[in-house]
Formats: sequence, C-alpha cells, structure tokens
Amino acid sequence: MKITVFYVGSSLLAPLKNAEREINRQCRLGLAVAAHNCTLRVPDAEWPAIERDIDDAAIVLIIHVTDNDNAARIVAALDRCRSRHRAVIAINCMRSLMVRTRLGKLEGMKLFNLWRERERGAIYRAVRDAGSWMGSYARARNREDKSTGGHKHSLLLKQMPSLLRLTPSIGILRDVKHYLTVFCYLLQPTPGNIRSLLLYTIRHYIPELAGCIHRIDAPENRPSTGIYHPDAASLFSSFEEYCAWYEGRPFDTGGHPRMDTNRAIGLLLTRPQIVSGACRHYDYLIRLLESEGLPVVPVLSTFMDNREACQEFLVDAQTNTPRVAQIVSLTGFSFVGGPAMNDSEAAVDYLKVLNRPFRSIVSLEMQRIEQWEESVIGLNPVQTAMQVAIPEIDGATEPFVFGGLAAGKDEPEAIEERCERVVRRLVRWDRLRLAPRSERRLAFIVYCFPPDKGNLGTAAELDVFPSIWDILRRLQTDGYRVDVPETPDTLRGLLLGANSGLVPAGEHLASVAYRMPVEEYYHSCPYVREIEEEWGSAPGRINAHGRDLLIHGVQLKNVFLGVQPTFGYEGDPMRMMMAKNGTPHHGFMAFYLYLENIFRADALIHVGTHGALEFMPGKQTGLSGCCWPDRLIREFPNIYIYSVNNPSEGSVAKRRSYAELVSYLTPPIENAGLYRDLAALKELISNYRQVQDETQKEQLFVSIKEKARDLNLELKVS
Amino acid sequence: MAGPARPAEERDRIVLRLYEQLLEIEQRLIPTGMHVFGRPNAQTERGDMLRMIASFDRPEVGFRSLPGQIAARLGFPEYQILMEESATCGERLLQRERVDAILRSAIEKLLAEDGGIEEAASLLAREASIPTEDSTGMLAFLNGLNRQLGTNSEVDELMRALRREYIEPGPGGDLVQNPKILPTGRNTHAVNPYAVPSHVAFQKSRDTIRRLLNRCLDERGRYPETIGMVIWGMDNIKTHGEGVAQALLLMGVVPKRDGMNRVTDVEIIPPETLGRPRIDVVFVLSGIFRDLFGATIELLDKAARQVAGLDEPPETNFLRKHVQQAQQEGLSWCDAATRLFSNAPGNYGTNVNFMVIGGHWDRAEQIGDLFVTRKCFAYGRGLEGDPAGTLMAKALSRVEVTYQNLDNAEIGITDVDHYFEYLGGLTQAVKQRTGERPATYVCDSLSPLVKIRSLNETVRLEVRTKLLNPKWYGGMLRHGFSGVAEIEHHVSNTFGWSATAGAVDDWIYSEIANTYVVDETMRNRLAELNPHATRSLAQRLLEAHGRGFWAAQENVLDHLHNALDKLEDHLEGVNRQA
Repeated sequence: MKITVFYVGSSLLAPLKNAEREINRQCRLGLAVAAHNCTLRVPDAEWPAIERDIDDAAIVLIIHVTDNDNAARIVAALDRCRSRHRAVIAINCMRSLMVRTRLGKLEGMKLFNLWRERERGAIYRAVRDAGSWMGSYARARNREDKSTGGHKHSLLLKQMPSLLRLTPSIGILRDVKHYLTVFCYLLQPTPGNIRSLLLYTIRHYIPELAGCIHRIDAPENRPSTGIYHPDAASLFSSFEEYCAWYEGRPFDTGGHPRMDTNRAIGLLLTRPQIVSGACRHYDYLIRLLESEGLPVVPVLSTFMDNREACQEFLVDAQTNTPRVAQIVSLTGFSFVGGPAMNDSEAAVDYLKVLNRPFRSIVSLEMQRIEQWEESVIGLNPVQTAMQVAIPEIDGATEPFVFGGLAAGKDEPEAIEERCERVVRRLVRWDRLRLAPRSERRLAFIVYCFPPDKGNLGTAAELDVFPSIWDILRRLQTDGYRVDVPETPDTLRGLLLGANSGLVPAGEHLASVAYRMPVEEYYHSCPYVREIEEEWGSAPGRINAHGRDLLIHGVQLKNVFLGVQPTFGYEGDPMRMMMAKNGTPHHGFMAFYLYLENIFRADALIHVGTHGALEFMPGKQTGLSGCCWPDRLIREFPNIYIYSVNNPSEGSVAKRRSYAELVSYLTPPIENAGLYRDLAALKELISNYRQVQDETQKEQLFVSIKEKARDLNLELKVS
Repeated sequence: MAGPARPAEERDRIVLRLYEQLLEIEQRLIPTGMHVFGRPNAQTERGDMLRMIASFDRPEVGFRSLPGQIAARLGFPEYQILMEESATCGERLLQRERVDAILRSAIEKLLAEDGGIEEAASLLAREASIPTEDSTGMLAFLNGLNRQLGTNSEVDELMRALRREYIEPGPGGDLVQNPKILPTGRNTHAVNPYAVPSHVAFQKSRDTIRRLLNRCLDERGRYPETIGMVIWGMDNIKTHGEGVAQALLLMGVVPKRDGMNRVTDVEIIPPETLGRPRIDVVFVLSGIFRDLFGATIELLDKAARQVAGLDEPPETNFLRKHVQQAQQEGLSWCDAATRLFSNAPGNYGTNVNFMVIGGHWDRAEQIGDLFVTRKCFAYGRGLEGDPAGTLMAKALSRVEVTYQNLDNAEIGITDVDHYFEYLGGLTQAVKQRTGERPATYVCDSLSPLVKIRSLNETVRLEVRTKLLNPKWYGGMLRHGFSGVAEIEHHVSNTFGWSATAGAVDDWIYSEIANTYVVDETMRNRLAELNPHATRSLAQRLLEAHGRGFWAAQENVLDHLHNALDKLEDHLEGVNRQA
C-alpha cells in the first residue's frame, strides 16, 4: 500500500521515512511512502517515476507545492487515475492543486465554497484559512495590510484543537474534520505527528486496513517558540531559564564559553526543522561556535515574523538592550514575512534599533550537497532569489551555504568546511569589535586599472586619496594608531613610490611594502599547484622582482594602504583570449597572504567601485572552499566602500567576497549647458525666432547653417 | 552652388530641429566632479537635478511631476508631448519653454532661503494656477532631498561597520531615478529577481519598444527579424527590469505572476492584439546579470521557447521562423531555440575592453572573435553555461539590430569601458557574421521623454556634453590627479567605440585633441596634475590616428608628438628624482 507525498524543504523527508519504517514494524501494513521534493521544478527525467508513484498510490498528500510546472504535472497525473485514489489531500498549495483534494464528501471546490454556502460555523472558515493561509498572507501583504497573515497562522495553531473537539463527525463535517486534523499534524511536524498523520489517513480512508491500526495519538503540541540547545533535553521558554542551564553546565569538560551578551551569537532556527528533529546541521554549527569560544542563543524563529522571537529572547525587555552581539538567521527567509513575502521596511526598522549585524546563511533545500559541490553555479536560482536576494534587502550579509541533504540521506547535515569558514569569520568580527582600537589593524585596498601610475586609485566617481585621507584622520581621532600624511597628495605620493628602497624607483607601479620570497610564498600558499597550472611557477612576471613577489603599498603604523594587483590577463594577449580563466596569479594570491600572515589585518576596507577579487573564478552564489574569492578573502571582515549607483556589481561583491557595503554618493549632477559655438548658435537661433522680417531671418539662417556645419550638427529634417 | 530659395516653413523646420539638438545637449544631466567619501557634494547648484527629479511622476511618494501639472493647468498637451513635438512645431516649443521657465523659477524660489516651499507654491499658483495643496507635497519632498544632500554620514557608517554594528540596507541607483538611495553610507542591495519586471517597468517598456520598432521601421522600412540585446544587472536592478520587460515585449509576451506573486511564467499576447510580428531576440547577458537574475534567465528562456513553439506563420513570428530554419539545417529543437548567452560559469566580462585598451589587436575580427569566445556559453532551463560557440555564431548571423538600455546620467557610454566591450563587441561580432554593420540603438530614459538614439548619435551627445564641455572637465580638474585620469578614461572609452563599432566621427577626435593637447595651457595643467595619464591620453589619440579611426591634420599630429616627447622627458625626470 503506497502513500505518495509531495513536499517542499528539507524537514519532512526524515520523519516520513522514519514513520514508514516504524509503521511497518508495528502494524505490518506493508506501507511504502514515496516522497518527492517539489521545492524546485522537478527535471523531466524524474517525472516517469513520479507519475508511477501517483498511479499506484492509495493516498496522495500534496503539501506547500507552489511551483507552476510541478503543479501542472501533478494535476495531470491525478486526473488520469482519479478513480484509483482513496484520498487526495492538498494543503497550502496553489489553487489548481487545492481543488484536487478529495476526502470522502469533501472535494474540489467545496474546500473554498463551503464557507460561502453556509454562513455559519468557524469550522468552515477554518478549512478555508487552513487551505490558503499562505496565499492570503501574501495577498494581505500586497495590499499593504501588514497584520493579517502571520496572525492568522498563529491563531490557527491555537484554536484548531478545541475547534476539532467541538465538531461532530457527521456528513461532510466528518471529512472537514479529517482535513483539519491532517492540517494540525502538519503544523507540528514532529516525528510522532507525521507517523500519526499517515496512520490517521489510512484508518479513515482505507477502512479495510483500519483494523491493523491500534492507536493514533492526537496531534502533539510543541511550543511555537523557545530557545533550543542540542545538549538540553527540551526547549527553554525564557532567556533566564536558558541562561541558568547554560551557566550550570560544567565549563571545564564541554569547553563551551560563558554567556556574554557582548559576544553571544543569536541564531534564528526554523521551527519545522527542530520539531521534526531534522537538525543535525544546526547542532553542528552550535557546537562549533561554542568550541571557537562564542556563546550562542539559538531561538526558534517565529517564521512569518522574527521580530517576535527576537524581542522575546534576544532582547532584555527591561533595559531594551540586545543580549547578543551578532544575529545569524538559519531560516533562509526574510526577517519579516517568511517565505511568502518580505516586509523589509519593518525588518530594517527593527534591526536598526537592535543594531546588531544580521547574517543569513543557507541550508540547501533543492540540491543535494554533492550537486551543489559539483555545480558550477552553486546555489540554484530559486534559493538564490528567495534565500539570498531577499534577506539581503533586510541587510543580511555573509551568504554561506552551511548544510543540506547529502545524496541518499533523509536528514540534513552540516557541510563542515563551510561551517568552519563562517564560524571563523564570526570570530574575526567578534575580535574586531573587542580589540582595543589602538591595536586594531586595518588594510585599505585601492585599485589601479589599467595598470599605470596615472591610474592609481581607480574608482567609479570617487576621488580616492582625499577620501582615504579623511578616513585616516577620523580613525586617528577615534583612537586608532595611524600616521596621517600631511595632505591627500602626500598620501598619494607615498603610495606612488617616493620609495622604500626595496626596489629601484620608477620601475614598479607603486611603492613596495614587502618583498615576499618565493619560498615563503610556496610555504604559505596551499593552492600553489593549481595556480602553477595556469600561470607557471612563482614568482612569474606580474608583481614580481627577481625571486620575490612584490606587495605594493605603504604602512602607516597600524594601517596598511595597498594596491590590489589586477587580473593579470589584461596585458596578456594569450590569456586574454581564453574563454575561461581558472585562477588568480601568484602576485594576487601573495597580496592577500601578506595581509593575513605579515600585516595581520583585522579587517579589510576595499575602496571604491571596483576591484578584481570578487570576480575571480568560482561559483556564483553559495561559494565553496574551492572558489577563489573564498580562498582570497578567507576570514577577513570585509568592508567595501561602494558606489550607490552600482547595486549589481556591489551585490556580486557581497555574495562572492562576503563584503559589507558602505555606499557612497554619486557626484553632483548638473545640466551640461552650452559652451563656445554651441552657445553662440543658440543665441543666433533665439534671434531668428524673435525677428519677423523675412530678409533678416534669411540672413540669420545663413549664419545658423554655417555655425551648425562647423559644429557638425544634423541639418537634415526627417 | 545656390539652390532655389527654401520656403520659409522648411527653413523654420531646420532651425527647430537644430534648436532641439541644442536643448538636448543643454539640458542633459552630467556629473560635474567626483565624490569624496564622507563629504557632502560640493555643489552650489542643485537646481538642475531637483528640476529633473521634479520632472518625473513619483508614484512612490504619490506626487505628479511638476512639469506635468504645469502643462495640464495651462491647458497644454502632456509634457512628454511638448518635449517630443517641440522639435517640429514652434508652438509646442513655446509651450515647452513656458513650462520650463515656470519650473525653473519655482525651484529657484524653493532653494532661495527660508520659506522656500510656500514661495515656490505660490509662484506655481500664480503662474500656472496649481492649487498649493497639489504642489507642496512635491516641493517639500524636493526640499527634503536638498537638505539631505547638505549632510553626509558615510564616514560615520564606516566607523560603525568597524564597530560591528548593523549597517542599514538601502537600494542602489542614482538620485533622479530613485531618491530613496539617500542617505548613503548604507549596505546597498539588489532586488528579488521574482519581482522583475515590475508593473511600472513593464508599462514603461511598452512605450520604449514602440519607439524602438518605429525607429527601425523608419530607417529600414520593415521590422527587424532579430535584435541582439545586451542585458545587464545594473539597469535591470535600478529600473526593476525594464530591459527584461522590453525583451518580453519584443517577443510578444507578458509576464505572469504565480500564487506567491512571483513572476515565473509568461502569457502570449495574441497576434491580433500585438499587431506586429514577434521579434527574435538574441540575449547577451553580463556575468553579473547571470549571477543575480538566475530566476529571470529561466523566465526569458521559457518565453523564447514558448514563442518558438507557437503555431504561427513565419511572417508574424520571426522567432519560430528562425528556429524552424535552424532545425532544417540540422539543429535539435532545443539547440535551435537557445537564445541566452553569457560567460563561462565563474567568469565575467568579454575582455574586449582589455584587448582594445591594451592595443592587443590588429584586425577588427579579433575583437568580434574574442567577444564570442568569452560570451558563447548558453544559459536557461537545464543549461548551466554549456559551451555553445556554434549556436551563438548562428544566432548572431541573423541579427539586424543591436541594442542596449542606458539608464543613468553618471554611467554613460564613455564613462566606463563596459558599454563598448558589450554593445560594441556584440556589434562587431554581428558585423563579422552578417557582412554588414548592424544598426545599433541605445535607449535613453534619463529624461521623461524616452529616446531611442543610434549609437553614433549617442556618442556625439556624450562627447559634446562631457569630454568637450568645459563644465564637465572643469569639474574633473578640480579633483586634480584623479580628474585627469578620468578624462583619459573618457578618451580611451571613446576610442573603444571606434575600435568596436566605428561609431566615432572624425571631428570628435580633432576636438578632443584641440581641447586637451593643442591648447598649451590645458596640456601643461594636465601634465602637472597627472603626467602619466596625460601621456596615455596623447598616446591614445595617436593610436586613433595610427589605426585609421581619425584622419588627423598634420599640425595636430605635430602637436601630439611634441607633447608626448615633452611628457616622456618630464616623466623620466620624475623617475630619476624618485
């Protein structure tokens, strides 16, 4: 006996498969659960198997399916073998699927029309709401009515059990009740509820098997929110309670840090993942953060509106101060609005007051980990749109992929290498904040393109040296240790190479701050073999002198001002002609190695639109440790001074080099006006327009034509 | 040779047409300097920009454009019509000038001093009978912007970022398009690709496409069967997908939203409603668009395939016609309907800019070949940048028109090297495959009247308003070293239009040479501020001559050579000193 389930996300598969095993062990129903992930449009090649699963299913469950193409194919298959199905249950899907619901007397349009036909009864309203809350939420948001949707969701959660108790099991009401019960199980997808859900539908719609089923638990209720910790037996309902437990753990054995609101990481977790117990990736991340010395406050996200969870757990209500230093959302959705909509204005208003950096990292929902690893694109377009582009509108940064389903597995797991990267980055941000200003080491990075002394400080619309000079003065005032040259021009002169004596002056693009011996480079660069395949052995010809790699820049106490090397192939006709470039050159790599190992920067500030790092080869979004931007930027906090007029390339910097952008204004704009002969011509034409006398007009016209020809203006009339 | 006396009307028409060209130059917005991080823009004159902001409807704040209101109250046709018809009709020109004058006075009043809003509102009431309640909203909005521009907290925000505080997100764009970019110092974000194209973008694109196709009809007498279109992330983010909407319209489809309000599908415009053939579109996507608009790529691909699959006669569905032709030539349906090309995964750019700026080419064909080498990777459903050189070559061999959108005043076609590497590179690649240079158009939506210009017209306008304009280079020179570098980049980027599309008139180079090299005071000033960039500038002009893009006069060449010699001496001296 087969139950075919269409679902989205990564939390349901494990409970479904566990339920299948357990039911077969206890009840010997010979149950087969065929589960298909419909988050993404399912490729053509997979449909024949899926259609077979629909053909021979006794019961079909369709949950949250909103993709047009998937829906169309499911609908076609359902209609083809309608008579064979004992029950079809669609929940929170698009309309074409919802009307395929068939539970006894409850079928088709009744799901929507019941409420209209009979004016009485909360139960009918509940069916409609249950059927469509996500859609109505989206619609409400579009109407700028920002309160209804999320509210309805929590209301449903609260009211449903009592509503069900009061509903008699007669006529169509019986089926309505069943529909809502299934809905209740799904709202809390605990392993137990998923098992009960399957048993419940079998008992009521495959009566001949009902005898095998001895017991079905009522829907179990989990708190809608709370603080989670993998080492705790249950959820905590308050921060105080959590803190007492946290501090009560033995510090020496677990190696976990003390709670410290100045350092703690607030994590927003998705509830279905916790409720269904499919949260090993969360657990890994939490333990890793603690092992790196950062305390954690992992909170069950309130899905549609995270302000509630934040306010309840991450903010001290009495002083109205945050209890965490950074917020990391693992929900992959917008902060306010959930998957259906994004109310970024509300999100920003809230986060602004909270004033803690907001990061959003992503668990793969539509690709297996192996697919992501192999993909040249990285995170697929749907998740990129929903879980990177939208959170960015809330101000999210650091869009890492940290977990997902591995091939053949039912339960998401951590991608350990990515978790380490993002956690170590959070640690660096933490250090940046806590280190005394006088000890913080900052590297400013400018560009020079095309490579020529005359182009030092290339940046769209930005006068780079006065800009940096102003910033340096401010840093000095704020207590950073920095030498500020006399004027912006002196600063530029220093960088241009009134020299350090490290190499002969004039021979190189800019002043040389460091000569990295090739041995040192080979020793410190783990990727050197890959680079050699493309560029030959180090040092090569770019940013090189003798056997050394040159780092262009000047050090001004704790501030380094460096020149980012260029791609390197712009002056190399052979490499320029290649369809693909594989790696940065040795000099490029050495520059960032210098910042890490020699200068030991606490943060990088890239100055102006734009550099080359973020355009190095690798995946588009959701980078891996094999992507060059990731290998170059490493764990550096990366602040990027970026033109407000270039949101597109800026977004690439944000996604591929984990940059936090600080926008700068475009230059003043004015009317071009007229000058010289153009102004004179306008004068002539004005005269022409004023005079009435034909002879005068004709004379003026001759002058006008002459002037226009001089100016190469168009004299033809179309 | 004296021809017959022109009738007065014909004469008037010529003068009007000339006047229109002058207005176009005069009123074009240009950047007049550079920005210094953290400093409010040193600008005494914000009137021009505020007038332009006031010239667009601002549905986001619920205000109608001031020129629109003035024209309506004076009983004139819509302001866009005044702009359009003033080129051919004296009466319209007078009306347009009247509206402009009133707007100018109102903004002057607004900026004058305290109480500016009331003064400006009462002026508008007096001169154009606009009830004050209809104008104060827009005026207060402009006043607010003016105030905001007087402050700047970019450095503060940078310090906050270093303290690990929350940096507020904000949209990207320029002030005229989207005043919400203020305050700066924020974490600029892109858009949700599923929201693209927006309703507004789609409505605006109807007019744009009508104008584009009309221009094609005027010049060719028929619709182009295939348009090669450059699609970037930048303008599509800022306009919420006008480029995407235009492409959909060319194919004769409209975007369709799903239950979650996401644009995931298209609807076919019936032939009788469309009233023209469906145009075949070959897309060249920037690597950045590819990265940021994955979902939109699927939409465009879906649209192309649906249109290709319509049972319609070849004369009304060029896309289908071409797909069928390609099938007859042996391509699979799937390959024949592939229309979206971009870089290899993980790679960006055409490198045409590197080739041109570095002078690494001998024959123009190398430019077109490089363009195709870099951009011949196919995208769409199930395609993740599959190598498709042959498919792209085939697709380009049918292109009759190349086209791109220009969306803002700061980043024009000679401000960056990306326009010529893309639109120029595409044009050259097409020329090699069809044997003739395609017509190339640029859509300009900087002012309320959307204009379709040929590439040559656009280059002329750009050069007249920037490189040759004392107001522009004066602004750049105020920034010394960087300003000279900027001037040099403009010269090189202009040169890029010669190299890729032969779109630069001879006189343009002559005027550039006169302005920056022949003029000794100017030449010395440049050399003093940034000798390296000045040398590059002079070298570039000589290269233009050497490559035959410019028939320079002997005496001008002498000037160039002399200047270069002096610069080399000077630079050697600099190096010796250091």
